[in-house]
Amino acid sequence: MQVLVKGLRALQLYLPNNPIYQKAAENIRVAFEPVWEECAELNLLVTESEFKWEDAVVLSQPDRADSVPWVLFKDGLRLLTLSPGIEDEEIVQLLDVIHRARGLTGDSDDDLLTLLWEQDFQFVRYVTIELGEEGVPPLEPSESGLGGPEGPSDEELKQQVAEDAQQPEPSPTIVSMEDFDATLYFLDEDELKYIESEISREYSQDMRGNVLSLVFDRLELQTFAAVRSELISILENFIPYLLGASDFRSVAYILGELKVILGRARELLPEHRRQLEELPARLSQPEAIGQLMQSLDEAVVHPTEEELAGLFSELRAEALEGVLEWLPQLSNQRVKDLLENAAQRLVQAHPDQVAKILESDNESVLLGMLRLISGLKLPTFVPALGGLLARESSEIRAGAASALASIGSPGAMKQLERAIDDSDRDVRVAAVRVLSEGGHRGAFAKIESAVIGKTLKHADLTEKKAFFQAYGLLAGEDGLGPLRPMVKSKGLLKRKEDPETRACAAMALGKIGSEEARELLNAALKDEKDPLVRNAINGALREMK
Amino acid sequence: MTEHSDSSQLPRDSFQDGRRDSEEVVIRQGGREFLLAFYAALKNLRLYPVENVQVQRALDDVHSTATALLQIETEMEVKLAGEFIFVNSTRLRIGLDNYSSFSHILSTLGQCGIGSVDVGDEVERREWQVLLSLILTFAPREADPNKLTDLRRRLLEGGVTHISVEPPTASEEYADAEEAKEVAKRTYEQSVAVTKDVVNSVRMGRTASIKKVKRAVQGVVDQVLRNETSMIGLTTIRDYDEYTFVHSVNVTIFSVSIGKRLGLSKLQLYDLGMAALMHDVGKSRVPIEVLNKKGALNDEEWKIMQSHPWMGVLTLFGLRGYGEIPYRGIIVAHDHHMKIDLTGYPKSVRQRTPSLYTKIVAIADGFDAATSRRVYQENPIQPDQVLREMWENRRRGLDPALVKSFINLLGIYPVGTCVILDTYEIAIVHAANPNLELSNRPLVRILCTPDGATLKQGPVVDLAEPGLEGTYARSIIKVTNPAKYGINPSDHFV
Repeated sequence: MQVLVKGLRALQLYLPNNPIYQKAAENIRVAFEPVWEECAELNLLVTESEFKWEDAVVLSQPDRADSVPWVLFKDGLRLLTLSPGIEDEEIVQLLDVIHRARGLTGDSDDDLLTLLWEQDFQFVRYVTIELGEEGVPPLEPSESGLGGPEGPSDEELKQQVAEDAQQPEPSPTIVSMEDFDATLYFLDEDELKYIESEISREYSQDMRGNVLSLVFDRLELQTFAAVRSELISILENFIPYLLGASDFRSVAYILGELKVILGRARELLPEHRRQLEELPARLSQPEAIGQLMQSLDEAVVHPTEEELAGLFSELRAEALEGVLEWLPQLSNQRVKDLLENAAQRLVQAHPDQVAKILESDNESVLLGMLRLISGLKLPTFVPALGGLLARESSEIRAGAASALASIGSPGAMKQLERAIDDSDRDVRVAAVRVLSEGGHRGAFAKIESAVIGKTLKHADLTEKKAFFQAYGLLAGEDGLGPLRPMVKSKGLLKRKEDPETRACAAMALGKIGSEEARELLNAALKDEKDPLVRNAINGALREMK
Repeated sequence: MTEHSDSSQLPRDSFQDGRRDSEEVVIRQGGREFLLAFYAALKNLRLYPVENVQVQRALDDVHSTATALLQIETEMEVKLAGEFIFVNSTRLRIGLDNYSSFSHILSTLGQCGIGSVDVGDEVERREWQVLLSLILTFAPREADPNKLTDLRRRLLEGGVTHISVEPPTASEEYADAEEAKEVAKRTYEQSVAVTKDVVNSVRMGRTASIKKVKRAVQGVVDQVLRNETSMIGLTTIRDYDEYTFVHSVNVTIFSVSIGKRLGLSKLQLYDLGMAALMHDVGKSRVPIEVLNKKGALNDEEWKIMQSHPWMGVLTLFGLRGYGEIPYRGIIVAHDHHMKIDLTGYPKSVRQRTPSLYTKIVAIADGFDAATSRRVYQENPIQPDQVLREMWENRRRGLDPALVKSFINLLGIYPVGTCVILDTYEIAIVHAANPNLELSNRPLVRILCTPDGATLKQGPVVDLAEPGLEGTYARSIIKVTNPAKYGINPSDHFV
């Protein structure tokens, strides 16, 4: 008994794959061996706090909070019989049931006895008393009946039977075996197959879907206002339950059917119409979306992309903001990818909402939106993106620049020119690179001014590189003039440039790529001692090949 | 008390019942002491050699307790019947203090093929020792029809002349059947009470106990699996006043029984039973005055009445929080009046396929409703006529394969059908013939002899029993309305 009690503790604390759990289960199995040497089966009398075996107390646990006998006793179990074989598997199941029963409250749907029954034990029997059924009226035969004091005499009855037997039956019953195919009394092979398939279908049917379908039938077809209120309330309460169960397909179905109901239901009260219309909107609120994202992130089994797409296609535009807010916080990459795709669909479906979000002050939402626009390369939002280049946040400006760069349309490039003067180095670098790679001549003047002038004097190497390379790409042969003096390591009359500028000028020449540029680079290489510049010259020459 | 898993419920015993004559009390007390001593002796003999003090003391106790009983009557008979032990025709009370000992004796003697032990007044202590030792030797042996004969021979060889062991008799089988009937009755009573509780709770806006519903259904499943005949017999109860509750239980019994025929597992039968018991729960929301209206319902009342399937949906959604939504029950409650093509009521517009359990419950529901006397149906239709309609009229929209299974279950003369035999006897169908090929020859209980003499508890006869010249001894010539004769079929099943 002590082994059993210890085992119970171990089994409730650890998972089945844990070595402690396995050891406890093994100990219990071993503990039964000497028991079966003593008796053919173990009959344990259950009292409030004890197990008794042949009048001897074998387990006493007076404290009800920890008492195994009490768990059994309180639900009416009075005798527990364990048979050899229980130690193989059923003892663990039995202890699990006891553990579960201990956690049940008075208003639970189950008690110890319902749980025991479901296990369908082979090696466990139990005797119970029925609790609280004193009021059950017994079935008794009626007072009246054939042969009662007021009934007919034997002779009269005999006569009545004879007359009754002579009267024809109103219609023949299926009594005559000759009239009916004998197979009536047996299921033929096809029928048996049909029954088998029906049983299998019973347990593979989409029960939630079927229940929702009939709920919508009623919501649509019957017009009692009170019933409709109740049905709407059922749906309202059902949605969080379904989301909690990660059944996104059913939620999508509900949202889709709501539109059908709104279109088809007769005599729908304005109040009900409003309630139904509000349901998808409520689900699209940031708080609700937050819960959805959280449950998705924490779910063990994730929905398919199709299921998620189904759900998001039914959500309102407002959902977009919530999704964008949550996306960066998600830890599961697969969920992130799924939601990114779902959010992209929302962006494409709700341009007005996108425009609204692009005016938002919520930085994380805005950044999320910029990422999506970047990915989708949507030219519609170029003016709004250009507007974002004036925002205070450098991250937003960088995001907007990146989105404009991705879009790459002439309009986007035009907007991006503004970013060349941006106060943030990253924004400038990104803009310059994108503009030059796209061959956007409109940006040349600003880039040239920066290269020839003093703007880049205090810039770091990366920025200088970006501007010089952009200059080389956009200027072509016309850039040789300004670059020639810059790349030289010895100044005749003029002070020579610093190594970083000489290196960047070399890179720009590499981008020009003409024969003259090559000659200039070869010439510079002869005189150059600085390793940084030499590397840059060699790199440029390689690029030209 | 109820024993689960491999045996049936024990009968109700009233410990307060003091109206017994003194001799019976003495026999009961003495019989109990004898059996406890018998059990102790068996146990000690198994563990220790015969010379052991404890064994000797136990044998002393067996002999002395037997002798005490033999002083009341010159012979003692210990008889086993089902879960019971009778000593000189007095049934011993089974309590928690003796249950396991009695069970052990029942199973050990049963393993030896012993139905009763008869003891003469000159029995010697030595004879008990031989008997007990032989029982311990024979009980573990493999089942063998000659086991008891061998045991008897060995008793004689051991000089045991005042104790004889006999095989079980038909009367013991009868006791078994009676016991099974008792257990079935109790399950039925409890199920009706639970259904009533749920329906009334819903009416009053109280929380219904799902736990109780589960236990009731588990009880029905257990009984259908062990004791189907008794349970089917009880479906003849068609209580006029308690129609809704009794009907729900009947539908559960029929549904689970059909499910059993279809080979559903125990847990599947439970799912089916849960859905069946709750199939009419929507009636709890139909006004009482409509539900119990005598005479025809007007259009508006019919409309309300026909709303009960989907009222059931609302009720079942409200019965619990969303911890465990009874989807299957909801589907069955909603669809049980629909035909297999989902026409009928309530009207459906969304494409679905009816579930197997819905189709089973629809058959059980249709049969019980048509054969019951209700406020608006003074004259119920005879069970065989209902079966015929179900089978022949495909417009009823019942699943033909399931109807066939139902006919297989009930026979073509369902349990409770009142029949006139060619002997001019009146009888009530007691059970379907287990041989499906003899579905038209059920087991019937004779209620009235050819002379017109009525029988309170007439014999059950098998209509497949042969008579003279290769014919049957009795055949049904006609189904008749039991009400003509003041017969209440259910009286013969409770």
